[in-house]
Amino acid sequence: MADVKLTNVKKQYDNGFVAVHDFNLEIKHEEFIVLVGPSGCGKSTTLRMIAGLEDITDGTIEIDGTVVNDMEPKDRDIAMVFQNYALYPHMSVYENIAFGLRLRKVPNKEIHKKVTEAAEILGITELLGRKPKQLSGGQRQRVAIGRAIVRVPKVFLMDEPLSNLDAKLRNQMRAEIILLREKIRTTFVYVTHDQTEAMTLGDRIVIMKDGYVMQVGTPQELFNHPANLFVAGFIGTPQMNFFDAELKKDRNGYTAKVEGLNVKVPKHIADALDKRESVPEKVLLGVRPENLILTDSGESIGASIKVTEMMGSEIHIHAELPDGKNVIIKVQIADLDDDQQNEMLTRHGIAFRIRERTINLFDPEDGRNLAVSDAAAVPTNE
Amino acid sequence: MADTTKKYASKSGRERTSRILIYVFLTALSIIWMIPFFYLICQAFRGESRSMVTYFFPKQWSLENFRILFRETEFGHWYLNTLIIALFNAVLQTVIVLCVAYALSRMRFKGRKLLMNLMLILGMFPGFLSMIATYFILKLIGLTSENSVPGLILVYAASSGMGYYIAKGFFDTIPKSLDEAARIDGASRSRVFFRIIMPMAKPIIIYTIMMAFIAPWGDFMYASLITFGHEKAYNVAVGLYKWLDKEHLSNYFTVFCAGGLFVSVPVTALFLGLQKYYVEGVTGGAVKG
Amino acid sequence: MKRLPELEYLGLPPAQQKLYDVRLFFAELPKKLLCGLKKIPSGIGRFFAAVGRFFSDLGSMFVNGDVKTKLSFFIMGFGQFFRRQTGRGIIFLIMEALFVWFMAGFGLGYLSDMSTLGTVAVEKTLNDYGLEITVYKDNSLKILLYGVLTIFIILGFLWTWYTNVKQNYTAQELIAEGIRPKSFKDDLKSIADEQYYKTLLAVPLLGITVFTVIPIFFMILIAFTNYDYSHLPPEKLFSWVGFENFRTILSTDVSGGSKFAFTFREILIWTMIWALVATFSNYFLGMFVAICINKKGIRFKKGFRTILVMTIAVPQFVSLLLVSKMFADEGIVNSMLMDLGWISSKIGFMTTPTLAKIMVLIINLWIGIPYLMLITTGVLMNIPSDLYESARIDGASGMKQFTKITLPYMLFVTGPYLLTSFTANINNFNVIYLLTAGAPKTMSYEGGAGQTDLLITWLYTLTMTNNDYKMAAVIGILVFVVVAVISLIVYNLSPAMKNEEDFQ
Repeated sequence: MADVKLTNVKKQYDNGFVAVHDFNLEIKHEEFIVLVGPSGCGKSTTLRMIAGLEDITDGTIEIDGTVVNDMEPKDRDIAMVFQNYALYPHMSVYENIAFGLRLRKVPNKEIHKKVTEAAEILGITELLGRKPKQLSGGQRQRVAIGRAIVRVPKVFLMDEPLSNLDAKLRNQMRAEIILLREKIRTTFVYVTHDQTEAMTLGDRIVIMKDGYVMQVGTPQELFNHPANLFVAGFIGTPQMNFFDAELKKDRNGYTAKVEGLNVKVPKHIADALDKRESVPEKVLLGVRPENLILTDSGESIGASIKVTEMMGSEIHIHAELPDGKNVIIKVQIADLDDDQQNEMLTRHGIAFRIRERTINLFDPEDGRNLAVSDAAAVPTNE
Repeated sequence: MADTTKKYASKSGRERTSRILIYVFLTALSIIWMIPFFYLICQAFRGESRSMVTYFFPKQWSLENFRILFRETEFGHWYLNTLIIALFNAVLQTVIVLCVAYALSRMRFKGRKLLMNLMLILGMFPGFLSMIATYFILKLIGLTSENSVPGLILVYAASSGMGYYIAKGFFDTIPKSLDEAARIDGASRSRVFFRIIMPMAKPIIIYTIMMAFIAPWGDFMYASLITFGHEKAYNVAVGLYKWLDKEHLSNYFTVFCAGGLFVSVPVTALFLGLQKYYVEGVTGGAVKG
Repeated sequence: MKRLPELEYLGLPPAQQKLYDVRLFFAELPKKLLCGLKKIPSGIGRFFAAVGRFFSDLGSMFVNGDVKTKLSFFIMGFGQFFRRQTGRGIIFLIMEALFVWFMAGFGLGYLSDMSTLGTVAVEKTLNDYGLEITVYKDNSLKILLYGVLTIFIILGFLWTWYTNVKQNYTAQELIAEGIRPKSFKDDLKSIADEQYYKTLLAVPLLGITVFTVIPIFFMILIAFTNYDYSHLPPEKLFSWVGFENFRTILSTDVSGGSKFAFTFREILIWTMIWALVATFSNYFLGMFVAICINKKGIRFKKGFRTILVMTIAVPQFVSLLLVSKMFADEGIVNSMLMDLGWISSKIGFMTTPTLAKIMVLIINLWIGIPYLMLITTGVLMNIPSDLYESARIDGASGMKQFTKITLPYMLFVTGPYLLTSFTANINNFNVIYLLTAGAPKTMSYEGGAGQTDLLITWLYTLTMTNNDYKMAAVIGILVFVVVAVISLIVYNLSPAMKNEEDFQ
């Protein structure tokens, strides 16, 4: 069982393209780490460097305290599940799972025991005699996982393992991975582009963009205190709303003025602002759609409704502010009766206020969260 | 209503005429294509006159030509020479082609692109050009004339590495993640080659063996140079070619046909039996370039 | 020519777009060539920079090397012995010994003779019994061949020597860092794994070097000598003549004594016509047959296909030789036509120049159509059927579907194949040689060439019957130039051919 440490890891391809810049991360023993980001952000490259499938241009990777930079994948004691499963088409499911053990010259009896055990955990015992071609997507996925767990590796790597499955199977397999993790306590590194997978599976999440790490943290930290505009926009559906705001300081603390509405800056942000050398006047105020509250009275912002999406237990309202800015509001309707719901769906205009406790303030210049120290700046696309 | 039915009727009528036209065309084509082969068979079994005659069907069917072929000529030697060369070539060339194709498809190393470009450029020189010097090299080590069989095996095998394109194209279609999975499972590159790629490459292996086996039967250009002046060492192509020149034609035309038939039947049978792999190979190769 | 803005280009009718593409290509050709030429100096610069780096590397390795490394510059493998890499050390030492033995006993002599290619061919002396005997002295052919061999061995040795020095230095540095350099066992393991390509490529590349690279290099040198029937070793010597042979064949002076230049031009033109017509006639007719066979509702698909494929299966020397005899003056075709009373005198299918050219092109269809039929069938099957469905819904007729979907798709997918098949046709020895052997011969051609000869068959005749090796070599080089230039142009025209990784 092992911890993994990446120090100043860099990957530059022969054509000069830098896929990963200066990646630093310490993965603790038995931790479940998720690397997430849009395609081309370097997450898969990072995983493949840990696996030893890509050379490391600069920096070091340690597994269990040993530098593995020049070590072949087979000597690293890792297992990996691939996006397209990579099952050996000419071997039976049994042989697919046993292959790694056979190469390590494990006695036949032991192989048999381990393969049947793994098959049982994954519920694929009756498939052992089949060829991969005869399996469905979900079954193939299980075999691929079986092949990985049978060796009890130090580190378990998964490269977008669920992205080839349909939505329903994906949810089911996600739950199974969580259960699997309870059964085999080992270190996991999991790559995905799907933020829901990241949020539900990860002990900690690493968000990447254009080869840079944007933020490392628990799902809760990422959701509540995104380090920058990119993280704020990437995590959560529908996306967080951003407003231009003017930040003012008075006796009672900070106030942000948004569309004519005064929003009181909560204490944890105000404290952080006070610690900063300088506080910009113009900021971006981010607030999630569920934290915009419809209101009929008091100070509020008015908007006209453009589209209303009925999601079942909630409604997403896409509205337009008088200055042409778009805003999304999520309204829970579970405790409204049918008439009230209908009334909601047929409205033309609304007014809303902002749940002050939940706001985040960002520097419009570099996109950093003003309240998060050592936040990464959003890389600009050249 | 009536209008539309008429339209449909005329449409299917047109379809039928076009189908009939196609059948006529294809049948005519097939007949034209087969005539030379019928002619070959007829001449091979003709009993009267061994020279060319002015009529198509023999007046007298006999096996005389085959008797002459094996009793009075060196054809047996030529046949055996070619068979030995073909068998060796099938093994050596397949091994070499697969090795080169795998290395270039699966491994990334310094000079890989350079190597591929060099082979591309070398391939642009007419093959016969290098044959002249090759002949002198072979002569130095004593592998021409009476020792042409090992000489030809060596020549065919030595340059076969340059014909890696089709096999590489096939390997390129095997997902790389299979290699990677195997390497993580604990396999070295050589194990990946033997345990993962080879079992999956059956079609291309059969294709390569088949082409390597068939090619020596039809080679005239190289064999005529290497075996020059030593009749016993000829392969079938060089040997039979000689019978159609002016001085032999009148005595050997039907014998040539018998020999040609004797060579063609096994090669053609093998080819037609493995047609599927051939088609896969050439179409894959053509599409991949 | 000015480039159109993208939107304007897209607004052109399709035919004009194609026209524009072609015009643009030729308009930009000089610029592109210029660009290519401009790269040459920088390429040469890079080359010399690399050479410079090589020597400065060597220098610094010598200066910074310890005693073991320094000694390894002279005694290969020395350092390895003392760094517990005995296996490597032995191999290097053996290589050095072999090289010294080869050079001293053999290589040096031939190398020094390379400049003259020998001075005395034969010497007449009297033997012990007073009889005159002939002693063969210098053999130009052997000198040149061994000389080339020696050059390649020297190059190989230099590379080995450099590897040896480099390995020594790396090992020294590793030891300084406290890391144990790789043992022989590690080496063995690595050539089965991360360096497996070395194992895989060693034998094939050795074969290619000895039987393709060295011969081609040798023949390129032959093109600069006067090696022909009047300079045949061992009785005669041949010697360097510079560009003389190229001048002979490329001269524009018609009145000159030699007709080589004229012959070459004529044959080159015919070779190009042949390759062009053969490639495209096969391509379109093959595609037509494939479409016919694969049309919905046609039965016996497999039967038709198998009958056609017979011409690929039967060895060409049987089928083509037979067909050439069928169309000979005394052949079955002439006699049957006369029996039927359709003709009164024999037609010289293979003996009248123009008719012979047409005949080889037609008979080539017999060989080529089935081949193209197979290839195009494969591609036709792969055209997504929804393309046709959407075209039918858009209201395209059968003919429109062919010109708008089938043909562009085919051309796109088989484009690279067309190029290979074009260059293969330039070098199509079998069809011409087995059908006509270049005949009908003509007095207006030099070097035994005939009216249907391609460059490659002429090359064969020059070598085999005329022993005119120098001209054969020159023609071989010129064929290479032609093929290379055509490939480069086509390669530049079709962007789809450039990306190997796109397919993976």
